[in-house]
Amino acid sequence: MSLVLKGVMQSPITPLKDDFSPDLATFEKMVDFHVRTGATAISWPHHKGESHNLTIAERKALAEVAIKTVNKRVPISIHVSALAVEDTYELARHAQQTGADAIIAITPYFWKYPLESIYNHFVKLGTTFDMPLIAYNSPDYLDGVEFTAELTQRLLEKLPNLIGMKDASFNSERFFEILRVALPMRPDFAMIAGVEYLLPSVCLGGKGSYSSAGAICPNLVNNLFAACESGNWALARELQYKLSQLWHLFRDQYPSSLKGGMQIMGRNVGPTRAPLPTASPERIKHIENTLAALGILDSEPHGW
Amino acid sequence: MTQFRFGLVHAPLTPFVDGKIDLETFEKVIEFHIQQGAEGLAVQTHTGESVSLPVAERKILLELAIKKAAGRVPVIAYVSEAGTSIAADLAIHAKKAGASALIASVPYYWTPPDSMLIEHFATIAQSAALPTYLYNSPHEMNNVKIKTPVVMSLIGTSPYIAGLIDVSMDWQFMIEVIADASRARSDFQLVAGTEYMVSAHATGATGFLAPTAIIAPQLMKHLYQHVCQEKYKEAHDLQVDAAFLYRLFDKYGVAGLKVGAKLMARDCGQARPPLPIMDGVVVDAIAHELTKVKALAIEKRGW
Repeated sequence: MSLVLKGVMQSPITPLKDDFSPDLATFEKMVDFHVRTGATAISWPHHKGESHNLTIAERKALAEVAIKTVNKRVPISIHVSALAVEDTYELARHAQQTGADAIIAITPYFWKYPLESIYNHFVKLGTTFDMPLIAYNSPDYLDGVEFTAELTQRLLEKLPNLIGMKDASFNSERFFEILRVALPMRPDFAMIAGVEYLLPSVCLGGKGSYSSAGAICPNLVNNLFAACESGNWALARELQYKLSQLWHLFRDQYPSSLKGGMQIMGRNVGPTRAPLPTASPERIKHIENTLAALGILDSEPHGW
Repeated sequence: MTQFRFGLVHAPLTPFVDGKIDLETFEKVIEFHIQQGAEGLAVQTHTGESVSLPVAERKILLELAIKKAAGRVPVIAYVSEAGTSIAADLAIHAKKAGASALIASVPYYWTPPDSMLIEHFATIAQSAALPTYLYNSPHEMNNVKIKTPVVMSLIGTSPYIAGLIDVSMDWQFMIEVIADASRARSDFQLVAGTEYMVSAHATGATGFLAPTAIIAPQLMKHLYQHVCQEKYKEAHDLQVDAAFLYRLFDKYGVAGLKVGAKLMARDCGQARPPLPIMDGVVVDAIAHELTKVKALAIEKRGW
């Protein structure tokens, strides 16, 4: 299990045609754009990629496109979480057969269950599929269901292929507590901020992040990681404050504002599937004004 | 207005003997914190059992702290209450007593709308005309949050709002509030209300309130010095110990913190009811946990 996660990794959005069907040709462009603009890894489909609004068949078809497009230039992980845990196994099997480098999975949705159930779920995933596994922690969206430090410790003892965790708690205590137990056990274990909150995570020992804004402004996110890596904290603060504004802009009805914002950058990826709204012309104008005020229109790539 | 700089502020315990405030030991507590490097004292926060002190006792303790500090370090008065006018009266008393600044949380018990939170804080700050820090601790306060628009509204209308003390440890909020507020007023300060100084300083915090300073004041000082020099990665081991203390006493509360203080030979008695009396097994458990904190090796025992 030699895969080591580091840097800003991108999870592509899922382009849709006007009839809301998956737009495979644009999806190829999207994945390729991320690889060309410095993504250190690709991971799909996160919630940003509307995972819940895609059928299992669509997820498999798009995963194949993503893996083929990345073509081993960077590692690619497939997010296998679905409402039904049976579908998670189906997606993981498919990811393994199709050549994904890793799978990523969140704590199961909706149900309330004891910590032991999280342990059992991840042990089964990690032992059934002989490939690197990334855990995904998102307590705010899952009503407090989360990986504790003690649970992470037990999983690390059991699973040599648990290589990292996507952490969307965005909380110093939760992030650092898991890191504190994990690093002595597995020095390459990667704590990864869910989106680009790199300043507070890298200074605590985090290895990088996934990304919300990378489809809009890859230079900004890559520059932030470089500033954190080199200890240029004043610059990192300036860039992190900009990305904070963008995150608060995009997180509302995520990813519909993000998709709307991509039009401004000349990368049209179509509408967002219901029940999420598609960004209105007024919303897109508001996003454009914010991007202009932040200097993004002049400093980031336009088109594919 | 004159800008107050928060710096590294210790939060003293309130010592009790037979349930009554123990002023003689309180003077030792104040002197200890000053000798151990506190740049300011916050009297009496939740660490000092503010909620268990009648207003008359809060005033006595504040006056004594100011007298004992004798201008060596500023004393910041914690004036939170359920009712806005009661909190404002505490603020007026604090000003007369010679406090340098105020800390105010959202009101206890109630869950007012944002418009009333703004009125609550503006009234307190205005009544004393002292630099006022907003204390944001949603998990202690019924999940009532001080949101960024509330802060922006307050700093737009009140010159006395000096900063925000964050206990949420939520990066999304901390970065949003310091970025927006410092753009509007460059002297606005973010203060970390927990021992997670590394990530807080990186995001832009310049002040630190250290609830566990009674246990490990030198650890707090060294961690503070490291982060002020932006030596975040070098501060890792110090942060591990500080985070451990935070979590230990988050679990056992102020009653447990008093057990810890006693184990460091700084006996401040038991916490007042309804907090539990801690003895026997709990004392042994806390003593065992403290053996895991490497940084305690250099900490002084006794006063």
